[in-house]
Amino acid sequence: MSSAPKSSPVEFTPRFVEESLYEVHKKVHPRAVSGIFATWRWALVWITQLIFYGLCWLPWNGRQAVLFDLVERKFYIFGLIFWPQDVFFLAVLLIISAYSLFLFTAVGGRLWCGYACPQTVYTEIFTWIEQKIEGERNARIKLDAAPMSARKFMLRAAKYGSWTLLSLWTGFTFVGYFTPIKTLWVATWSFSLGPWETFWMFFYGAFTYLFAGHMREQVCKHMCPYARFQGVMFDPDTLTITYDTERGEPRGARKKGVDPKDIAKGDCVDCGICVQVCPTGIDIRDGLQYECIGCAACIDACDQVMEKMSYPKGLIRYSTEHAIEAHWGWKEILGHIVRPRVIIYTVILGAICLAFVWGIATKPSLRVDVIRDRATLAREVEGGLVENVYRLHVINVSETSHRYSISVTGLPGIDIAGERILEVPAAAAKSISVQVRVPPESGRKGSNPIYFDVKSLADDRVAVHEKASFLQP
Amino acid sequence: MLKVLLVLWPSFVVAGIAEGVFFTVVDPQELYLFGEPVHYSKLATYSIGFLGFWLACAASSLMTWFLQLGPAEINRRRDDTG
Repeated sequence: MSSAPKSSPVEFTPRFVEESLYEVHKKVHPRAVSGIFATWRWALVWITQLIFYGLCWLPWNGRQAVLFDLVERKFYIFGLIFWPQDVFFLAVLLIISAYSLFLFTAVGGRLWCGYACPQTVYTEIFTWIEQKIEGERNARIKLDAAPMSARKFMLRAAKYGSWTLLSLWTGFTFVGYFTPIKTLWVATWSFSLGPWETFWMFFYGAFTYLFAGHMREQVCKHMCPYARFQGVMFDPDTLTITYDTERGEPRGARKKGVDPKDIAKGDCVDCGICVQVCPTGIDIRDGLQYECIGCAACIDACDQVMEKMSYPKGLIRYSTEHAIEAHWGWKEILGHIVRPRVIIYTVILGAICLAFVWGIATKPSLRVDVIRDRATLAREVEGGLVENVYRLHVINVSETSHRYSISVTGLPGIDIAGERILEVPAAAAKSISVQVRVPPESGRKGSNPIYFDVKSLADDRVAVHEKASFLQP
Repeated sequence: MLKVLLVLWPSFVVAGIAEGVFFTVVDPQELYLFGEPVHYSKLATYSIGFLGFWLACAASSLMTWFLQLGPAEINRRRDDTG
């Protein structure tokens, strides 16, 4: 009995064979692609990254043009200054972004994902670096499989090193939007960075490295909420990357210049290049899939193959479900862009944008909060006058310093005792205590409405009329 | 790996939103810590606030992940886990 079998006598058979929710991840080695859509994507990489890396260095009126100053709780965007009270604008901006996404998705599918999403943009840059250092797709696959050698080590070190430098620069730039970047630059080289600035720089840099270098399409597949709900914005008239099954099938290899009709095959030569270029590793010929980020790399790739074969381009193309069914041309497809869903999105988006611009244009450059002094409601002072004390919180939202005059109206004989001029520097707030006095017979017992007028001495239009209440004992 | 993502990622997103809303409404210098006014720099308060939100949200995500495990995963014997 000493040689009892190691395995238990009763085999355990699970009732539910639970498979992992996710298939085992296979590394995707996208093949480089060129063509009109790749050019578009690179154009957007340049535009978005020139803005991101460059805008923080732009000066404006002696300060950084775009700075989200968390410490001072002020957001500077060129000539505009946003205070926490302006959070409304941020909310509207988010609504505008959401509606733009709805509109673009309804019309053209995942245009955002394919061309402008930071995940796509950074993956594009990181893949480009990878390709420059390690070579094209086949070379990279070989290198991956090869055992560690001096050459592999050098290539890997060069790749990871370049990625690290770019990531660090990205992290530095990111923090430069919250702390003035020129100060940050000096602090970096004199090793006097604050602990949290250092932390966020490495944090953002590390995530750039991880997302763009290693996780890539997995971010789109498993982490992006938009990828999950994009489907509800699609309808049969939405332009998506589509494989023309009717034209392509049955697929099969053949010699160059062979007419598909002669060999009873479709136009697809089954070269597999559309799969090789796909950054998410799917086969577009299986139909629209949620993994498809709409980058159109397969269109560019397939068009090149079709050209070589002397077949018409567009076996894979931007098309719609209706268009494929009814064999529409571009005229009909474009005609169907104008449909109720698109009109509704456009109208709502247009209205919100107008309201946003109007709101920004008419944003007051002066704000006044009147707060009653709670310690003493009302008291009698010299000359038998009744006094109420208020605290005026005056916020100068403009970019120039202002001197403001403070006056009060609403009751007979009402006046201010003491200081009635207040100077507030640009983009700053000041509080002033104001003693308002009235004769005892003025107004009725209890609360009386009064009005504070705060006016800039330099510019009459910069004025605030604010209601308050005066307590008569 | 994906399970780690499922816990850390949604909590990160929600923590970001919570951080934005919370500190828009509340000035860090109005906060009190154990009865004493917060004396950290604002940047530190914001950062600690964010990491705190993230931690709390991650705890919630972790519990969600734990509770949604199917019977097969809970019944699975240790040597089946591979």
